[in-house]
Amino acid sequence: MTRALRFGLVAIAVAALITFPYWSAGWESSRFATTVLRDVLVFAIFALSLDLLIGRAGMPSLGHAAFFGAGAYAAGIASQRLGTDQLPITMGAAILVATALALIIGALVVRSEGIFFLMLTLALAQIVFAIAFQWTSVTGGSNGLSGVGRPVIGGLDLTAADRMYVLVAVVFIAVALLLSRIVGSPYGRALVGVRENERRMRALGYDTTRLRLSAFVLAGAIAGVAGALSAYSLRFVSAQDVGIATSVRGFVMVLIGGAGSLFGPVLGAAVVMYIERVLSSAIPVAETVLGLVFVAFVLLARQGIVGVGLAAWARVRR
Amino acid sequence: MSPELVFQQALNGLSFGALLFILAAGLSLVFGMMDVVNLAHGAFYMLGAYVALSVVQRTGSFWLAMVVAPLALAALGLVLEPLLLRRLRGRHLDQVLLTIGVSLVVVDQIGVVWGREVRSLAAPAGLDGSVALYGGDYPLYRLFVIGFGVALAALLSYVYSRTKVGMRIRAGVEDAEMLGALGVDTDRLFALTFAAGAALAGLAGVVAAPVFGLQPGMDLDALLYSLVVVVVGGLGTLGGAVAGSVLVGPADTFGKVVFQEFALAVIFAIVALVLLLKPTGLLGRIRIAR
Repeated sequence: MTRALRFGLVAIAVAALITFPYWSAGWESSRFATTVLRDVLVFAIFALSLDLLIGRAGMPSLGHAAFFGAGAYAAGIASQRLGTDQLPITMGAAILVATALALIIGALVVRSEGIFFLMLTLALAQIVFAIAFQWTSVTGGSNGLSGVGRPVIGGLDLTAADRMYVLVAVVFIAVALLLSRIVGSPYGRALVGVRENERRMRALGYDTTRLRLSAFVLAGAIAGVAGALSAYSLRFVSAQDVGIATSVRGFVMVLIGGAGSLFGPVLGAAVVMYIERVLSSAIPVAETVLGLVFVAFVLLARQGIVGVGLAAWARVRR
Repeated sequence: MSPELVFQQALNGLSFGALLFILAAGLSLVFGMMDVVNLAHGAFYMLGAYVALSVVQRTGSFWLAMVVAPLALAALGLVLEPLLLRRLRGRHLDQVLLTIGVSLVVVDQIGVVWGREVRSLAAPAGLDGSVALYGGDYPLYRLFVIGFGVALAALLSYVYSRTKVGMRIRAGVEDAEMLGALGVDTDRLFALTFAAGAALAGLAGVVAAPVFGLQPGMDLDALLYSLVVVVVGGLGTLGGAVAGSVLVGPADTFGKVVFQEFALAVIFAIVALVLLLKPTGLLGRIRIAR
């Protein structure tokens, strides 16, 4: 495939994704599909940010929902308290709070690895959840934060479902582009280097602790963006957004789709959202299905769908 | 705070600490032996509480529940270890991930079988009253919890240091591979260890049920606190579980009185301090951070 052809195909796919509500308008289920696709993309952003940690930097975080939730609460509270739905303000608040929280937690966990990293991110994020859950006067506690406004940009109102979708799709494309650039950059290579052989990277003069912290904060900030988009989309922030259920969901998405690839986490987000949204209305034990699927992937296909697909493709070509 | 209140809260803190010890002892034992942090530990705790609820509803005997629930959880552990964890021996992170999947399934199935409402379990007859102590009436059951926690710590300490099983456990914690090379059946030892850890989680669930009740989300609370206890106290040693629970139980209880909705910030601060100043935990040997 030539470069130009490839670029053209990607451009068409991107355009099709962004304009989905318009060209699908004739379908009977267009509205439902738009809503589901919007939520898939929100979680795809979340999963992509988590994969920067799991798949690239080798930091298996089980507390990533803390930043998603921090972004969601910050956007929601900013819109309510400041009385404005200007996107730069509410989104800015989300990024600011998520980044600050990621700095605090990150500073504590980046010196740990593997199981310990997983355990500490889980414990610290769960404490953040418990505080959010109990801080009723600000977060609404178990009732959640309802009545979050849809954003406006200047005079452009994004309240309508189709416009909200387009915002999410555009941010998704931007995040995917950003991450693909980062992964290919010297910085991204250095992160992989830290995962593969931290001692050697240190011997080569890299400040590995700082590299890991920067990845943690960057991933946290992007998760905050996903959280803000979730708050706008659902007009609601639930305490669950901060909780371990959301962290686990992100982890499952990355692992099922395939860690360390751009496409994997996105595919994983689609699969998990399908199980939770579509399947859970059909059968009452969606969590059980999710758990079993996860166990099966860890046992039999640790590389995820993308990894299995690539391996099969390599065998066919040989 | 009046001295009476301090006294009452100190007892509350100690009884919470005793519960945390039962929980964390199982988590720590499994980690020490298998290098696996069992993230289904909270789900096992929850299952123990619900099994106890059913036993009490059928037979009316809390004491029977205290035997049946840990046995049921031990049986589950005996099935799960060979079925899942053993297949990934040596891949510790993946084993931990497996336990996440297990926990999702167990918690969801509890909801299917027992429903998702808040339930309660009465303290056993004889322990359901209260006694007059300094500063007012104090629930007898909480005193029993403290005593039970201390007795269990003493029993486990005896088993670890004086029995052949304990000797093998200590050897396994030191170097499981070497133990296998010396002719000990480590497959069996690991399965039994995992079962014992699950049984301790189940036992904690039974003992905690009359104090905290049964509700969705209790698995996560239990997991969080047991992780905090082993991080603070030190992973893989019985002394670490004791130190962690004796510190975290009262700290959490007093935190709730003083800081109310920010009580967990106290726990966060303790974890942060330990990580920065003593990354092995108070009495542990394993560094969890550089």
